[in-house]
Amino acid sequence: MNVLIVEDEKSLSDEIVVFLKSEGYLCEQAFTGADASEKIAINLYDFVLLDLGLPDCDGLDIINNDRAWGSEPAFIIITARGEVQDKVKGLDLGADDYIAKPFALTELAARMQAVGRRKFKIPGQDMNVGEFVIEFQSRKVTHNDNEVLLTRKEFDLLNYLVINRNKVLTRQQLYEHIWGNILEDQYDSNFIDVHIKNVRRKLNEFASTPWLETVRGIGYRVSF
Amino acid sequence: MARLRIKLSFFNLLSKLIFTGLFLLIMPYLVERINLIQTDNNLIGMREQVISLVSKVGIEPFITSETENTFGSYNILKDEFISLEKFDSGEDANFIEVSERLIEGEKIIYRVLNYTFKVDNIKYLLEIGKSLESIHHTEKNTRKVMLVFLVFIILITFITDLLYTRRLLSPLDVITLKLKDISDPSIYDKTPVKTTTSDFVSLDNALKELMTHIDELFRKEKDITVNISHELLTPVSVLRSKLENLLIRDDLSPEIPTKIEETLKTLYRLQSLVNSLLLIARLESRQFLRNETFQVNEVLSEIISELSPISDDSNILLESEFDHDLRVSKANRSLLFSMFYNIVNNAVKNTQPGGKVLIKSFSDKDHFVVSVSDTGKGMSEAQMKTLFSRFKTKGQNSGTGIGLAIAKSIADFHCISITVKSVPDTGTIFSFAFPENS
Repeated sequence: MNVLIVEDEKSLSDEIVVFLKSEGYLCEQAFTGADASEKIAINLYDFVLLDLGLPDCDGLDIINNDRAWGSEPAFIIITARGEVQDKVKGLDLGADDYIAKPFALTELAARMQAVGRRKFKIPGQDMNVGEFVIEFQSRKVTHNDNEVLLTRKEFDLLNYLVINRNKVLTRQQLYEHIWGNILEDQYDSNFIDVHIKNVRRKLNEFASTPWLETVRGIGYRVSF
Repeated sequence: MARLRIKLSFFNLLSKLIFTGLFLLIMPYLVERINLIQTDNNLIGMREQVISLVSKVGIEPFITSETENTFGSYNILKDEFISLEKFDSGEDANFIEVSERLIEGEKIIYRVLNYTFKVDNIKYLLEIGKSLESIHHTEKNTRKVMLVFLVFIILITFITDLLYTRRLLSPLDVITLKLKDISDPSIYDKTPVKTTTSDFVSLDNALKELMTHIDELFRKEKDITVNISHELLTPVSVLRSKLENLLIRDDLSPEIPTKIEETLKTLYRLQSLVNSLLLIARLESRQFLRNETFQVNEVLSEIISELSPISDDSNILLESEFDHDLRVSKANRSLLFSMFYNIVNNAVKNTQPGGKVLIKSFSDKDHFVVSVSDTGKGMSEAQMKTLFSRFKTKGQNSGTGIGLAIAKSIADFHCISITVKSVPDTGTIFSFAFPENS
């Protein structure tokens, strides 16, 4: 998959590139609006990560122009503005998702996967984790065709860990993914611990879960 | 409290009544004086007539020197008389007095003019009298007519005052109405108020200028908020990405990831702080939309289902009693969710295992009220005072203590009033009273 990262803050752009490359994406960078428009016109991208606060133009104009060119990449808007109006405006113009700075790179990966499934109809392949099967499409976890009844939040948590498998996720990253970040002040590591405990308990009724690891002092990891 | 025009009209009425009352008190005296002067002038006029008559025809037709000493005449109703007599003894007289006369066995009070004059060296005394009763009678009638007239005048002027002031002050009503309706200075109706009163024109202009000014300030603040958020959050974002990228490398020596996580935690705190301050700044400059309609109990139920895993884990009973529900309109759901979530989460955090947190919704008089009570540690008076101030209430478990300040800002944004009651070692109750017309 080809990704264009339009972000004027070079060091942030570089980090995104490092992370997405490790995820198997092909990345290109643009640091100005003009540069971005030119690249979009010439190349075909699957994803455009678009910072709204560009020095030479309003990022939203790039979506407008692009619609005129007729290509159809998925736009994910990155902004520190966080204003409701911007969000509505962005989604109206055809942006596919919206992520507020500062965000976790693992969150970006999860969003890109979700957008990809929705937009390019990439079939969400069921995934085998230990003795369990995770069905992304129907949001189910099964063990020998028996469904493990997880709450919406519990499934989201497990899903996020599985998408970012073999990476340690901090409690804050997990918390942000599930509760968004309007309640930052209430960030409470206990929340995640309780939910993980419940997920483990429910899964352990069917089989043991050595793949769901607690990484001391950091957070949790799904490894397989 | 009363409307300005009613007050003005009543003041007019009152002042009129006072002046009329004073006038009515003084009037009898005045009328008497006027009548007296009038009567006296009449009497003097009559005297002149008599004198000129006497000088024309002589004294004989009235008094013949031998036989009669007195001449008297009065009209049928006895309210006037004239008498002429020889006046031998005494000095000259020319005065007017009030005296009682007996005429045909009837005592009547007269205003009497006494006047002496000489004809052929004989002194005569002329007396001309006018009954005072008749004077009093006219006086009484005049007073009655006057009273009726005054009452009539007062009534008429009161009504016209009322109507006129209403018309005069109608631009003020228009201005008040305009002010009452606005929630944001940018939507202030700037069409000039129709009036010929210069005071209202200047008031209207002053308000218009004020609104434009406030609007400008708000806009500037909005810009500053946007700029600060961008300036602060971008470097935080860079740091976060760098640290998170480091954390997922598998070639680190064992003690490094923990250090990175500790650094990340500090960064999260910074991020949380910036975001909270921004949230409050945006709330205060009204940058959030209030365009959603939803049931409050539904929000509360969602919060309960989100927090019940936590409360279950600490063996705390999280219960609800919904006696009443409210369909709020012109509200922001995610903000109200945050507000209640903050409070309920706080209550759960501050309650010991085995305790209870109860969420109630009910109607109290005209208000819809949501209350959140816990059986936690409670708070002292001193703690209560700084409860909603930023950074003052350092939470025991986590957080910057800004959560309650956020809750308060959200409540203010929705015109919800928060009251807190707390008893140390017994528990705390937060009550949220929604405005009457929401």
